[in-house]
Amino acid sequence: MLRLIDRQEVIRMARLARLELSEAEVEQYQADLTNFLTSGKKLQKVDVSAVEGTSHAVSITHELRKDEVGSSLPREEVLSAGPETVDGFFKVPRIVEEQE
Amino acid sequence: MRNLAHLLETRQVSSREIVEHYLGEIKQQEPDLNAFITVDDVGALAQADAADMRRSQGNPLSPWDGIPIAVKDNISTKGLKTTCASRFLSNYKPLFDASVVRSLRDAGMPILGKTNLDEFAMGSSTEYSAYGVARNPHDRTRVSGGSSGGSAAAVAAGEAPWSLGTDTGGSIRQPASFCGVVGLKPTYGWVSRYGVVALAPSLDQVGPMARTVEDAAILFSLLAGPDPKDATSADARNFEVPFWDDQFVKDLKIGVPEEFFGEGLHPDVEKAVRRSLRTLEGQGATLVPISLATNDYAIDTYLTLVTAEASSSLARYDGVRYGERVHAADSNTMFSKSRAAGFGPEVKRRIMLGTYVLSASHYEAYYEQAQRVRTLIKLDVLDAFKQVDVIITPTTPTTAFTIGAKRNPLEMYLSDLFTAMANLSGIPALSVPCGTDPKGLPIGLQIMGSHFREELLFKVGYVVERSAAR
Repeated sequence: MLRLIDRQEVIRMARLARLELSEAEVEQYQADLTNFLTSGKKLQKVDVSAVEGTSHAVSITHELRKDEVGSSLPREEVLSAGPETVDGFFKVPRIVEEQE
Repeated sequence: MRNLAHLLETRQVSSREIVEHYLGEIKQQEPDLNAFITVDDVGALAQADAADMRRSQGNPLSPWDGIPIAVKDNISTKGLKTTCASRFLSNYKPLFDASVVRSLRDAGMPILGKTNLDEFAMGSSTEYSAYGVARNPHDRTRVSGGSSGGSAAAVAAGEAPWSLGTDTGGSIRQPASFCGVVGLKPTYGWVSRYGVVALAPSLDQVGPMARTVEDAAILFSLLAGPDPKDATSADARNFEVPFWDDQFVKDLKIGVPEEFFGEGLHPDVEKAVRRSLRTLEGQGATLVPISLATNDYAIDTYLTLVTAEASSSLARYDGVRYGERVHAADSNTMFSKSRAAGFGPEVKRRIMLGTYVLSASHYEAYYEQAQRVRTLIKLDVLDAFKQVDVIITPTTPTTAFTIGAKRNPLEMYLSDLFTAMANLSGIPALSVPCGTDPKGLPIGLQIMGSHFREELLFKVGYVVERSAAR
C-alpha cells in the first residue's frame, strides 16, 4: 500500500491545496511526505474491523437554535478587513476563465 | 491570586499599579525573551483605570476585576492584532472577541497583550513563529516549548500573572512543563472555541496557564461553561473552584502506565515523577500499574488527524476577505501565491500532508484508518478509568531542549508523545511542576482524568505542587 511519493503527486497535492511551491519546496515535501508515510506504517497494520471511526471524542448532540434574525457585524467594518473591495463587495481577480 | 484580589479589594493597591508593574517587566525582559507578539500597554492601562473606577464605586465585576492577563495570539481580541504568529495575518484585527476573551472582559481583566506561538499553533517550540522564538526564562538558550510557549514564558518570567493557551496535542502542557508553570487541557467541549483560530477542531481546546494550581483552577472557573456560539460546546455545568484538602488522597487510585516510563524517557524526569508518586502513596493513595498500549499509535494517529483537519481549517486563508494578498491576473493564481507568501514551512508541510491523507485515493487508508484507531485509543483510556481515578505520567520525555536542536520535523512531533492521547480521547489533563533537573530546568508531571473530572485533577495537582515545593 505504501510507496514513495513521486514528484507529480506532490505537484498535484499542491494544486489541490492552492499552494504555489518552488522547485526546492517540491523536493522538500516529496521527502517529508515519504518520511511521514513511512513512519506511520504501523498504523496501517492495526486491526480496526470491530470499531467505527471517532470524529469527536466527547459525544454531543447538535441542537438547532431557533431561526431568528440576530445582530451581525456592520458591513463596512467587515469589508475594511479585506485586501480589495468595490461597491460594498470583496473584489477578486477574474474567475470565469480558469482551466482545471 | 487570592492575595492580589484581597489587596485590590482592600484598596491597598490599584489595578493601574498592578498593570504598570507587569508592563514594566515586559519592557525590561522582552528584548531577549520574546514571549509577546503584541503588547497593548495603552489598552491595558485604560482597562485598569476602568477597573479602578468600578472598585471606587463599589461595583467590581468579579473578585478578579483589575487583575491583568496575557492571551495567546490565536485567540480573537476585538480591535487588537491577532496574528497567529503568521505573516498571513500580520495586520489582522478581529472584529469580535472570542467567547473566552468575552469571559475575561466580563470579569474585568485587562489584557496585557498577545503571546507568541508556533505559526497557527503548529509546533512544540515556538521556533515556527514568524516573529522569532519565545525563549525559556530558566535558560534563554532553550525553547519555551510550544505551541503556547509565549503564554508559558510570560507567566514563568513574571511578565503576566496568568495567561490563556490552546492545546491540540500538548500545546498547553508541554510548554507549561518546560517553563515550570501549571497548565490545563480541559475536557473537549467544556470551554468554548468560538473565536479561537482553528488548527484541528476535533482536538483543540483553550485552557488556563498559571503559577499555581489554585490560580489555574480560578481561571478555569471563568472559562468553563456552555456557549451557544460553539456547536461542539458540551452541555456542561459551570466549574466551581474546589475546596483544598488532603483527605481525599486516602481513597485515591492512581494509574501508572508502564508505556510512559520506558525508552526515551530521560532519567531525571523519571526520578522526579516517581518521587511525587511516592509522596502521594505516602499520603495513602494506591498506585496501580496499568497499561495504555494504544499510546504506541497516538503520535501517528494524531499527526494524520491534525494534518487533515489543519489542511481543511486553513483553506479559508485565500487572500479574499482578510489577511495578506499577492496580486495575480486570475483567482486561482492569486490564492496559490497569497498562500505561498503568507505561510511558513511547517504550515505548508502540514497542509501538504493533510491534503494527501484526505485526497480521494488515500482517504480510506489513512484518514479513516486513523479515525478508527482513535476509537481504540479512546476505549483504551476510558477502560483504564474503570480501574483508577487518575492516571499520572511525565508531561514530556525530557526537559526544555536547546533552540535549533530539533531540525527534523518527525523528531519535533515526538514532543507530544505523552500528551496527544488526552486530546484524541477528549479527556482533561493537567501539567504541574514536580521538580527540576540538575541544570535547574523544570520538570512537569501530567495528571489525566476521565471526562469532566477537572476538579479531581486540580486537587491531586495541589498535593503534587506542595510536595514538590518542600
